[in-house]
Amino acid sequence: MVYFFRTEKVSAGYDGRPVVEDLNIEIEKGSILTLIGPNGAGKSTVLKTIARQLKLISGTISIDKKDLMAMTPEDVSKTMAIVMTEKISSEMMTCRDIVSTGRYPYTGRFGILSPDDEKKVDEAMDLTDITGIGERDFKKISDGQRQRVMLARALCQEPEIIILDEPTSFLDIRYKLEFLSLLEKLKNLKGLTVIMSLHELELAKKISDKILCIGENGPERFGTPKEIFKDGYISKLFNISDDLLSFALDKEIGILNT
Amino acid sequence: MNSGKKRYLYSFILLAVLLIAGVILNLCIGSVRIPLREIIDSLKGIPTPNERILWDIRMPRTMAALILGGSLALSGYLLQTFFHNPIAGPFVLGISSGAKMTVAVVMVFFMDRAIAISSGTLILAAFTGSLISLGFVLLMSGRVKNMSMLVVAGVMIGYICSAATELIINFANDAQIVNLHNWSRGSFSGTTWDNVYVMAVIVIIAFAWTFLLSKPMSAYQLGEGYACNLGVNVKLLRMLIVFLSSVLSACIVAFAGPVSFVGVAAPHIVKNILGTNKPILMIPASFMGGGFFVLICDLLARTLFAPTELSVSTVTAIFGAPVVLFIMLKKSREDMR
Repeated sequence: MVYFFRTEKVSAGYDGRPVVEDLNIEIEKGSILTLIGPNGAGKSTVLKTIARQLKLISGTISIDKKDLMAMTPEDVSKTMAIVMTEKISSEMMTCRDIVSTGRYPYTGRFGILSPDDEKKVDEAMDLTDITGIGERDFKKISDGQRQRVMLARALCQEPEIIILDEPTSFLDIRYKLEFLSLLEKLKNLKGLTVIMSLHELELAKKISDKILCIGENGPERFGTPKEIFKDGYISKLFNISDDLLSFALDKEIGILNT
Repeated sequence: MNSGKKRYLYSFILLAVLLIAGVILNLCIGSVRIPLREIIDSLKGIPTPNERILWDIRMPRTMAALILGGSLALSGYLLQTFFHNPIAGPFVLGISSGAKMTVAVVMVFFMDRAIAISSGTLILAAFTGSLISLGFVLLMSGRVKNMSMLVVAGVMIGYICSAATELIINFANDAQIVNLHNWSRGSFSGTTWDNVYVMAVIVIIAFAWTFLLSKPMSAYQLGEGYACNLGVNVKLLRMLIVFLSSVLSACIVAFAGPVSFVGVAAPHIVKNILGTNKPILMIPASFMGGGFFVLICDLLARTLFAPTELSVSTVTAIFGAPVVLFIMLKKSREDMR
């Protein structure tokens, strides 16, 4: 089996102090990997390290057999795109302006878009269904639209991997479903590999090909949703006490019943 | 051409017309009125009655106001991009006051030994001061995330520098105080062609360099995370922005003393004319807008109560400070929503 993306013995953290240690994952091209686990356990730390925003403490990360840390910033920007949790503070930028910034790695010295770049922007906006709001101010659209704009922006980089940190957190259920179905469509259509963190376990279970569980003491389990959601493991991962668990089961909260 | 591009084109035409009009007004109006035809004749090399006033006094002063106004606005725009904060500017953040402090030190302690201070020394002194206070602002900005708090920190740093300047003045003799006072009021009077050449060279280089950074700056506007992902060397870019904005604001302080609020007001107004914040357009447009703004302010400063001259800084504050207030109010309304 040839894996497209893999990490070996990765330690990730801040200022050389590891938060997550001994992380070993491997996924195929065109699959969705979801990170789940309690707040503060280190999901964002792992994602930021993969995105090269935090310095890798030790271990290796490879994409398509290439060492990620040895790649040039330009190569990385054409291979991997990100959608982060923090809202961007745009000023006087239309949605199309925001999407266009994704062409950065492909434009010249002054960042002026060629007709070919414009076509790629059109395509990305079409795919994410935001063509209609292209000229609207980015600050004045809904959270759901905003996430789709950020996704279109990422697609403009023509990445093979896309990293998303809690992309559905601020969205209502309709937008959550819309966004995740979009990710699945991109995966099937373009062979896009998706690595993201989610808080919605029910959705993570349905959409992911692989799931990585990061608990208080680092990476705990890595496998298919079937392998993860069994034997009451989830309540252990989130440190749910027996009292709380019986309350949850009493209220028939399904995801904890697996 | 789509509507956005048309608007950019018209905006630049408007700015260019304003700038030319500003230059002509500054050359014509004064204690002696010089008609436009005379200026054109003089440019062609035909001798005219007021040649000396035109070429020795008005021309250099007008050029200085244009160049320095432009660089103030550009310095402000760089700082606004750096801090992701529309009310950042060299004066608001106390950077001008820092420059003033070091210039005062040089004026008081070195003029003492009867060494003539070259404009180069003054620029270097102002640059050092700019970097020192900007360093303090940077230290603060790591701790305060709130936009208004950053400005409060900057104003405080400005006060500390002003207090230090006062302290230094205590050690000065009368002649030095007169010198220092004239300089620190912010004035373009007495600008010579030599001054203009020096500032033109520095500002043109800084402007060109800034323009070359317009692409990474556009990525930086999205935030450091995205800029880094797009392949921008964020650390280097941040260093260059700090360096360039300090050079630009130091240049103004060295020649004309601290001039207030242009760095915030001009980019803000220009941004609203253009309808975009794209660096590649905003860099030249801010420069033109700042140049026009200071040309008009200097014209008012020297004509309103002629023969008494106001300091430019007084006039720029009257027009500029309300703009800062307006941005803060608008921003707080947006944050509430």
